[in-house]
Amino acid sequence: MPLPNNVLAILWWAAYTVIGVWAHRTLPGIDFFAPGLILSLQEQSGGRTALLALVWMLLAEGTGSLPFGYGLAWYGLLAVMFFSGRWLFEARSFLFMCLIGLGLGLLHPALTLGLSSLAQLKVSLERLVLEGAMQTAAFPLVWLAADNLFPKRLRQDARPL
Amino acid sequence: MTKPKKIAIIIVAGLFVYLSLYTWNLRTGHLDALSSYTGLDISGVVLRPGIWVSDKVSEFWHRYIYLVGLKQQNDALRDEASNLRRTNMLMQARAASASRFERLLGFEPPKHWTFSGMRVIGHRMGPAGALATLTVDKGTASGVAADMPVASLGGVVGRILRTGAGASTVLLLTDPNSSIAVMGAQNRSPGMLAGQGYGKPLMLRYINQNAVIDPDEILLSSGLSGIYPKGLPVARVTKIQRSDISLFLTVQAEPLVDMAGLEEVLLLRRAPGQPDQADTPPASTEDAGAAAQ
Repeated sequence: MPLPNNVLAILWWAAYTVIGVWAHRTLPGIDFFAPGLILSLQEQSGGRTALLALVWMLLAEGTGSLPFGYGLAWYGLLAVMFFSGRWLFEARSFLFMCLIGLGLGLLHPALTLGLSSLAQLKVSLERLVLEGAMQTAAFPLVWLAADNLFPKRLRQDARPL
Repeated sequence: MTKPKKIAIIIVAGLFVYLSLYTWNLRTGHLDALSSYTGLDISGVVLRPGIWVSDKVSEFWHRYIYLVGLKQQNDALRDEASNLRRTNMLMQARAASASRFERLLGFEPPKHWTFSGMRVIGHRMGPAGALATLTVDKGTASGVAADMPVASLGGVVGRILRTGAGASTVLLLTDPNSSIAVMGAQNRSPGMLAGQGYGKPLMLRYINQNAVIDPDEILLSSGLSGIYPKGLPVARVTKIQRSDISLFLTVQAEPLVDMAGLEEVLLLRRAPGQPDQADTPPASTEDAGAAAQ
């Protein structure tokens, strides 16, 4: 008997989150949940995406070392980038994903520097720029992998945004 | 209302809400606590089983299969153990006489600290992991609190930065935001040891031009900051430069612990009945700043 769509969605996103946490441990400074958020915005209902964003925001904030604010701004601005870019680009195009990756690559050093200066913390700019470059490269690739692995059945169970 | 106006209002309102939440959290710390007790703990729960499996596989491999060089290692460890026993025998006699002299001179007995082990489950993690940190598998449920010192058998590692219920984050000695009041083991010259980032040497600040300090001298925690107990080995002096334009020597040091290779660390806490850390005034404004962060 096949799994109900809701159960399959929970299992799929739970597995994605577990892999994401291990990826965060392996490659610090790079967000592997961001491509998942975009995939969720493309394929699922807004409520489910908001719940995922909340969980991932708490994970990013909890494992991070900056005062609260990075995750909220990071995922908030990611959603803004996606919705504003949809006016110009096809929402599922790889080029659009590369541009969002570039935006995140620029956002990461700017956001970290801004928040660390507010909290009077010293951070290395060189490392942040390198992480931004890695984020730019990783984002479209992770999105592509997640998009290919996302169950076909779940693509139809909710109206895309 | 026109569309650009609507967008401008939404941006301003969003910025206002964000900054309100940010400043409210800076004042109360509620959102930091919420993310620590959810995000940090969830990641601890996710990581622990994988680390347990990896440890068991590694242990099985090294204990039962990969036994190359075991005899030589065993011989070397026997030699080291006999040397340490001999040194310990001499030190015990000296320690006993030192205690006697302290009693005779009316010194207060040294503070007692207890040690407990913690397993490292991760290093710097996630996109917001801007500082050099470790994640360990104990939190407030095990009595861990912010600013408790963390060490390994080699020396000081850092201090607790934030805590969840079952996991905590340790700020490493090598991070630029970390400062420890230290003194030389032989010459007792005091200074402030600050990190400069992973892979870069530590910087010993505020060492007077006429202070006595030797290359290779071990730096010990001076205990003045109220966070670290006195006498813990922290770093080794690697380079000393005299400057014509500065009042202080430029002294570089290296940590005694390989931060990247740490698997277990020790949490130090005061034994019950000892005064709180807050009772001891910070050694300097910089150290007070480090403690506050």
